Amino acid sequence: MKTLRYVVILVAILLIFSFRVWRRRRRHDATPRPVRLARREFVTGDVGLVMSRELRERLRSRFYIFGTAVILLVVGAAIIIPVVHHSKTTTETIGVVGPLSPATRSWVVTSAHASAVSVRFVDLPGVSQVTTGLASGSIDLAIVDSRELMVDNSISSNDGSATATIASAVAIRLGDENALTAAHLSAQQATILAEAGPVPIVALHQSSSRSVNATSLIGVILIFIMLSQYNTWTLIGVMEEKSSRVIEVLLSTVRPVRLLAGKVLGIGIAALLQATIVVAFALVLSKAVGSNLLHGTGPLEVVSTLVWLVLGYTFYCWVYAAAGSMAERQDQVQSLALPLSLPLIVGYIVSLTSASAASPSLLLKIFAYIPLTAPFAMTTMVGFGAVTWWQFALSVVITLASTVAVARVATSIYRRAILRTGSRVRLREFRRAR
Amino acid sequence: MLMSAVFVETSVRDDFTFLVALSVATPRTRAPWVKSKSRSRDRVEDVEIAHENYPEPMTGLLEVQGLSRRFGALKALNDLSFEVRAGEVVGFLGPNGAGKTTTMRAIFGLTDLEAGSVRWNGVEVGAPERRRFGYMPEERGLYPGMRIGEQLVYIGRLHGMSLSAVQRASETWLERLGLADRADDKVESLSHGNQQRVQLTAALLHSPELVILDEPLAGLDPTGIDEIGAILVEQARAGCCVLFSSHQLDQVEDLCESVIIIDHGHLVVTGRVDDLASSGARRLVVRVEGDRTGEWATRIEGVSLSQANGGELRLTLEENVDTDDVLQAARRIGRVTEFVMQRRRLSEVFREAVK
Repeated sequence: MKTLRYVVILVAILLIFSFRVWRRRRRHDATPRPVRLARREFVTGDVGLVMSRELRERLRSRFYIFGTAVILLVVGAAIIIPVVHHSKTTTETIGVVGPLSPATRSWVVTSAHASAVSVRFVDLPGVSQVTTGLASGSIDLAIVDSRELMVDNSISSNDGSATATIASAVAIRLGDENALTAAHLSAQQATILAEAGPVPIVALHQSSSRSVNATSLIGVILIFIMLSQYNTWTLIGVMEEKSSRVIEVLLSTVRPVRLLAGKVLGIGIAALLQATIVVAFALVLSKAVGSNLLHGTGPLEVVSTLVWLVLGYTFYCWVYAAAGSMAERQDQVQSLALPLSLPLIVGYIVSLTSASAASPSLLLKIFAYIPLTAPFAMTTMVGFGAVTWWQFALSVVITLASTVAVARVATSIYRRAILRTGSRVRLREFRRAR
Repeated sequence: MLMSAVFVETSVRDDFTFLVALSVATPRTRAPWVKSKSRSRDRVEDVEIAHENYPEPMTGLLEVQGLSRRFGALKALNDLSFEVRAGEVVGFLGPNGAGKTTTMRAIFGLTDLEAGSVRWNGVEVGAPERRRFGYMPEERGLYPGMRIGEQLVYIGRLHGMSLSAVQRASETWLERLGLADRADDKVESLSHGNQQRVQLTAALLHSPELVILDEPLAGLDPTGIDEIGAILVEQARAGCCVLFSSHQLDQVEDLCESVIIIDHGHLVVTGRVDDLASSGARRLVVRVEGDRTGEWATRIEGVSLSQANGGELRLTLEENVDTDDVLQAARRIGRVTEFVMQRRRLSEVFREAVK
């Protein structure tokens, strides 16, 4: 209910803001404007030219090709290594001193096999051979007279190695067996006790909490990497056009907003292309090697990741472009890049930390409706399976509406700042100019 | 057979007579036949390229009226007005910070104006007009990491040229500037002079009606200056309106028919270079053996020393000064080796205009 209240407040703020923008626009429309070109010309004309130049230069750059290869390698490794690791069976050698019933032996083999471990028994004459065997590593653990287990190094509670797993299971089993023997029970009674299991817990309501789908988690990481990379490209691209003065030649023929639109479109398409390649590669590879990392991935998670990548880029690219237009040198860009990347980092970290929890946190739920953090938070929420279609749609609408507002402010800053040379242009100057 | 041979001979002779008559009738200072023929073909091709996109004839008048622009307390442009006609190379001069670059940017809509208008053929300059203009900003103005050929095609296409036309034009220009084999190189790999040539190409590729160049000769060697200067003159002869800024006044004097001199954002002098040179106070160049300072001349009433260069004194004479008096004064100092009346140099016009 609390979340709903926040959402309602957010929507109200947004509505008021869009109404103001709409009214200002109406007032502007009263003054005659130059005739707008047809929509087709927008794509095939100068915007198309700028876009195709940008796309061609980006796709050709070594950074893009190398970056794509690195991401594919990392994703490939993340999928293949667990599969290889999983399919590799380790062998544990167990030394046996004194008697060990065949039933217990077969139980050990069966339960070890379930954890992909094969077991070999070695009968030893005495404890001294056990000590030597453990020290030399020829045996991993030893069962002495079915009453005691011996290992080389002590086992901690969080030790997940094959030796530790088998040792603790065998220790419990032998303890049970010894207790049953000591109780002098009949074979039937012993069997009943040996097969004892926990009673079922019946819940009145089905729990909605479940862990985040791995695909969405990978999606959040992918979105973070791509937004950081491609927005930095926009930032540096705009700064370079300004510092090389090529902007003067371009703006003598193209309107600033069209130039900017072409630029962000070009870089955006390059980003989407890379993301599509990575996602397709991951899906095909995990299917081919039989990985269960992406097990249960529905089209919803993939589509949601791509949708939020596009929305996130569309929202942030304008901000970064406006920032790029204020700078003329690399050091000026660096001083701008850090504050710009903060919301990205916050959204990313909150999403990642929330993902390990059993259910989405309140902060995550709020972040899912704030355009700055929605690309990460909403993707995580989809991974939790904790959003309905209308919540998803609402977040998309809020982001789109804010993108329109941000784009308007950003293009206005861009138009004023891009031709100003000398020291870095500061935001204060725009407020004063208005 | 005989008849036809006679006929051929006559027609050849007739052609020859016609050519001789033509060469006599149209006197040319330098016009080797073959060269001029190929040049004219190039021009025709260029004009064809231009006409493919812009069918209007290339005549025009740029009118800049009452431009005003303020940067904080500084008045960069202060009610600046001038005109530039097609077919002329016009030098745009002024000391540093006079407002030359701001004016050029204003013509391309690259700076906001507080007042004033820029008109082309009587029409307020807007986006469609600017597409038919060419602009070369001061230094750089190209993507450093982009291939030269692709860059030219991109800029030409933004000016509305078709892909085939822009490819033909860029090949022709690069060939002419000796950069045909560098089309696939990145701009940053070129020398300063060659970068400037590519920049010029980018401004002229679409056969603009008006071309504005900010310091196109800066940093060039004498060959480069001659080459770019020749191209500018050629463009003007082909009907283009050429306006360029420069601090190399001797080159401007050689290249330009007219000059516009501005100072503190305001027009101070404009006119034809010939008229400006012959107007104003009389100039007298005197060289006296053993004298390098010319102090004697400053003692004569109505005479002022304009320049003293290694013994060559350039004197400015007022109306009432008798040159005989100057000659006598000079003789009293030593043997006079040079004594000649000269026209005003552009550098003198400039110094007097902006002092």
